[in-house]
Amino acid sequence: MTELAVRYRRKTARHEVQAAVPKGAVTRMHVPDDDAKAHLVTAVLKARCEPGEELELFGESAAGLPPPRRERLRARVGAVSPIVGLITNLNAWENIALPAAYHGAPPLEQVAMLAHEVLAAFGAQPRHFLARIPDELGMLERKMAAFVRSLVTAPELMVFDALEDGLSYAECRHAARFEAEYRARQPQGTVLYVDTREDS
Amino acid sequence: MLQALREIEGGIQLSLNVAARAPRLRVAPIFESFLRQVYFTGVTAATGVVLRACGLGVIIIAVMMDMLDADVDLAVKILLLLVFREIGPLAAAVVVILRTGTAVSAEMAMMRVSGQTRALRYMGIDLYDYLVLPRVAGIMLATAALTLYVQFLAVLGGLVLSPFVIEASFTELTDRLFDLFAPVDFYYSVLKSLLFGFAIAACCCWHGLNPPDLTQNAVPKAVTRAVTQSAMLVLLINAVFAYLVFGILFFGLVKAPA
Repeated sequence: MTELAVRYRRKTARHEVQAAVPKGAVTRMHVPDDDAKAHLVTAVLKARCEPGEELELFGESAAGLPPPRRERLRARVGAVSPIVGLITNLNAWENIALPAAYHGAPPLEQVAMLAHEVLAAFGAQPRHFLARIPDELGMLERKMAAFVRSLVTAPELMVFDALEDGLSYAECRHAARFEAEYRARQPQGTVLYVDTREDS
Repeated sequence: MLQALREIEGGIQLSLNVAARAPRLRVAPIFESFLRQVYFTGVTAATGVVLRACGLGVIIIAVMMDMLDADVDLAVKILLLLVFREIGPLAAAVVVILRTGTAVSAEMAMMRVSGQTRALRYMGIDLYDYLVLPRVAGIMLATAALTLYVQFLAVLGGLVLSPFVIEASFTELTDRLFDLFAPVDFYYSVLKSLLFGFAIAACCCWHGLNPPDLTQNAVPKAVTRAVTQSAMLVLLINAVFAYLVFGILFFGLVKAPA
């Protein structure tokens, strides 16, 4: 039987959303609307389900989990999502380094190296890029910063929430390389793309 | 009534949380945020208060001298009692409310409305640790520093410019000031300014993190509430503090000797 990274179910009067994301696979989900998408992404990122929702992350049911175990589950999930946007009064580097600096791991030298590598791979000039605040970055650049920030914690599950929203065709081709970059660093990792049906 | 109780309860909870988390100031991004707050509240505000503080000392001395027909003794007492103990901390608190209180409450309300506080929580970052603690500690320290700065300038301004208004030399006034100055004046104003800073910061952080709703319109509402309540809190603390610490003795000193 295939091991699942995410099993999710939410039933409302209007529709039912179900997800079964196999470990190590790339899964694309098209949910009926933005509300359903927000519920799914929020549940996965929080490792918590609301009434009417069922969620299992890496085989553990999220219902009634004690806080330390919930925190451990949450640490295994990364996301590029409008729900986890950048902090506007910090520059790109401070945004990327914030979780590592706050939690004390990984070391900032390692974060800096990762940021330089990934940004250079996407054709950005790291020194120039990292010094700018989010308002000075374009939509793709903001998603790149969010992507690098989520890579820092080496997540086992990467959620790309409406990744192509607000991007031009050329930028979408750039963003499509996020998955390969993630795979290069987490070969066993799971990727979940979530979009609404209207967008897809 | 319920809203007022909710705000009082929230304020107390926030204050207790900040007190309990004080050791977290050592964490790098929190300490950076603290330094940034000290710089913004204390250093950048300092240049703007130089002229105002000097003018304050002179105006108080000039008006009092003219009205009371006072001598050197009374002039220096007024400088100490009024400028050092009362006007200095209050003037600094007004500057902090107008500059920092508005900025902090608007910034936090904006972060809350735009979902940035939610993003911080998803990254496992505690809002009290990262947003509230460095602001409260930074504003407290900066308010105390700004108060000392305002007091120094106001007293210096009063001492330098008073000889032009009353018949007394600078040395005469300075000698009398050192005679009358007691360490309690210093402790009193430092303690009071720390309390002012704490009240302003806690009030502004609470309103910033709890806007009336989650729309853009809530930001100015949160700022208005934060500023109004901060000002009321400062006045309340000033009155209670003066009564508790000095009581009748304090008011008795102001009375002209029979």
